[in-house]
Amino acid sequence: MVHQDSNPFVNMQLIAPSTQRDAYNVYCQTAERTTPNQSPFPRKVDLWFTGLSLAARKDLKPVDLKKQETVDIISGAIFNTDGWQAQAIMLVAIAIDGNLEIVLEPRRMMDIANGLAAAGVPYVVEMLREGNQPPIWNLSDALDDLLHSESSTEGFLVEKLSEALGVS
Amino acid sequence: MKLIRAEFKNFRLLRDLRLDFSTDSEKKLTVIRAENDTGKTTILNALQWTFYGNAALPGKGKGYRLHPIDWDMSKGSKIPISVQVDFEKETFQLSRNGNSGETTSRYRIIRETTLGGTKPTSEVKLFKITDIGAEPIDPPDAWIRNELLRFELREVFFTDGDRALSFIEAESLTDKREQVEKAIRSLLGIEAIEAALKHLKGTTSKLNKDAKNVDSDKTDLTEVATELEQLDKEIQDLEKKRDDAKLQFDELTRKLPEIDKDIEAALLKGNREDLERELKQTASELKRIEELEANIEKAHSQLFRNLSLSRDLLTPLLAKSFRELDALQAEGKLPSVTIPSLEERLMGSTCICGESLDEHSNDGKRRREHIRHLIEESRKADELQRRLTDLYYRLDLKPNKVNANEHWVAEYAEISNRRDGTERQRKALEARCRALEVKLEDMGDIDIQELHSHKKQCIERQTHFNNILRECEVNLQVLQEKHRSLTATLNNLMTKQKKGKHILARLNVARDVEQVLRNSCDRITDEELDKVSTLMNAIFLEMIGADPEQGAIIQKAEISKEFDILVYGPNNASLNPDKELNGASRRALTLAFILALTKVSEVKAPNIIDTPLGMMDSYVRRSVLKTTIRESSQLILFLTRAEITGCEDILDTEAGRVITLTNSAHYPKILVNKPPVEAHQTLRCECNHRQECDLCKRRIDVVAETALDS
Repeated sequence: MVHQDSNPFVNMQLIAPSTQRDAYNVYCQTAERTTPNQSPFPRKVDLWFTGLSLAARKDLKPVDLKKQETVDIISGAIFNTDGWQAQAIMLVAIAIDGNLEIVLEPRRMMDIANGLAAAGVPYVVEMLREGNQPPIWNLSDALDDLLHSESSTEGFLVEKLSEALGVS
Repeated sequence: MKLIRAEFKNFRLLRDLRLDFSTDSEKKLTVIRAENDTGKTTILNALQWTFYGNAALPGKGKGYRLHPIDWDMSKGSKIPISVQVDFEKETFQLSRNGNSGETTSRYRIIRETTLGGTKPTSEVKLFKITDIGAEPIDPPDAWIRNELLRFELREVFFTDGDRALSFIEAESLTDKREQVEKAIRSLLGIEAIEAALKHLKGTTSKLNKDAKNVDSDKTDLTEVATELEQLDKEIQDLEKKRDDAKLQFDELTRKLPEIDKDIEAALLKGNREDLERELKQTASELKRIEELEANIEKAHSQLFRNLSLSRDLLTPLLAKSFRELDALQAEGKLPSVTIPSLEERLMGSTCICGESLDEHSNDGKRRREHIRHLIEESRKADELQRRLTDLYYRLDLKPNKVNANEHWVAEYAEISNRRDGTERQRKALEARCRALEVKLEDMGDIDIQELHSHKKQCIERQTHFNNILRECEVNLQVLQEKHRSLTATLNNLMTKQKKGKHILARLNVARDVEQVLRNSCDRITDEELDKVSTLMNAIFLEMIGADPEQGAIIQKAEISKEFDILVYGPNNASLNPDKELNGASRRALTLAFILALTKVSEVKAPNIIDTPLGMMDSYVRRSVLKTTIRESSQLILFLTRAEITGCEDILDTEAGRVITLTNSAHYPKILVNKPPVEAHQTLRCECNHRQECDLCKRRIDVVAETALDS
């Protein structure tokens, strides 16, 4: 079992703006909603995390959720299942905050993560809806395009080049 | 025989109608232009009724209404119905001075009945019309049968375009063959000869019986005559048994290829059992693929839970963070030794950087010492270092440590391919299932096993009848040999006394005549049938415009010795006239058969044909019309306007008489003007095929009607 040492978010909540409640209900699988083609995300945390990742990718600013009505998505204990998610949040927090010591402040890290997820989910929803196929294919193709274009041009190559030149 | 005139009174629609027919040998065609429901078939039935009575009516007259349907009973409870036909007939006569020649006599036949009386039977009167008046012929029925036309032949001369097709369209081969055989036998006189043969056999048997009563050598003679009498009976029985067996054998021989065709056709559609098995297997495979598809769909969904998507999306940010960590590590600020992987390295012989950790080498020892040192240092690390160290060694999140196939796009490409593949498989299987279901539905109740079983039974029965046939033929040979021997013995015995000589002489005459008749019968069957067959072929090919030398699909038609009408295509391939000829060709073949038969038999009688040109295109219609006119001695055609279309010029030159019939009941829907009568009846006007008058003027023109018919 993963303890608090490896998951500092165990006692916190993943939240989203209440305006995004429907998106979580429609596109995440539940006991009643079991068709992956229509509801591609196995769990709510997966939509939340995809939103976070997309926002980070798009260099969006985290939404300040303190100023709006929110809904609880799930407890941070969910990261006990997949430990990499907690650590990915910490790495994202370091990159955004620029201060390594932020890893000792789970609340701040979670605020950044919730803010990024809230910023990214609308884009995810747009990807799910745009196209003539079932949502899973619309989203997959959109992500495929995004990753293909960006990884083959700027992101990945710039990264490699920076590494080779020793430029930070 | 030629029809001159017919007058109908109260026979169904024919309340009061007179028809005059052309007797001109140059213009032998009479056209009665009449549309459907105008009384054409009624006229045909009325004419047959006149000559043959109720037996010639549909259903032998049972339930066939003779009187007009709207008869006004206030006129009286009795309905007088009559048909009078005037006709002429040529007779071959020998004059007193020994010269021979044909003379033409004129006759009148009247059949009448009164419905509503005690007994609705009809009465027929026949007169020979001479210069001095009408000479009654009695009994008329026998005269008609013997001198005019046999009852069985009425369908040859009174031809309903549809009904006549029974020569080639009957339910079974036996029925068709019987129809054709009956017509041929009657017209060629074979029946008459066979009747004479039968009569002669009876005479021979009687003479054999007489021989028993001769006094001298009574015992021997009686024994031989009795034995001969018995032998005659045995031979007759055996011949009948042989003929029956032959009929059955032939029927089965013809049936077997048809069953083979059915089996072949059914096999083309597929074996039901095999198809059902294949459908079950396909459905099961489809279910498996659908389950697989659902699993891959789930796996697709898992792509949004996996680390790869987030890591690839986060690559720029993760790279930035890892650069920070790398810098710390480079400065030695990240004690990395606490992680289990490094401790594990000490258990092995190679460092994480790939260098040797061999304890026996100096470098290895040095490196191991360094690792132990780092582990010691790590114990002093603070919480921050511990967390950053954990992050630093999170290799699966480090973008530049990921293999190409671990990227999300690669995983998605693989899933996408699998999904596409299974979707293609599913669609193919669904299509296969649908095709199999349609095939099964299309098969109906065809059971190939049952067809095979039926074929087997037919072969068994065919073998059975063939055995009987052979057995009968062998036994007949034996009996005929015995018959010849006994006949010789009987002749010897009878020559010994006077009475016997007399009987023997009569027997010899009877046998000679029998032989002559047999030879005639064989000659007619062989030669005359061949003539009918050849002529039918010529007429048929001309009618349909088929030239075998130009590669026509229909190459030949013939009548077999078994009285089957056969049609052949290229390479002598047999075509089933019933199924493989179109409607026009079937009608043309029927007409060709009738015309050839009447021509060869030299029976001169009118061909009265109801709607012969239906279902034919313009070329065939014209060709059939011209040929039929040429081959008939008197031709009376009932034609609709649609049949006449395109043939007007032929009628202009060939028709000796054209009249038009109209049904008064067709006003106002079809007829333009109100007819001069209130009752429903067939009315006649003198309009020919190009004319119309106030009586026959119709609302629809011929062109529209043709379009409708076509």
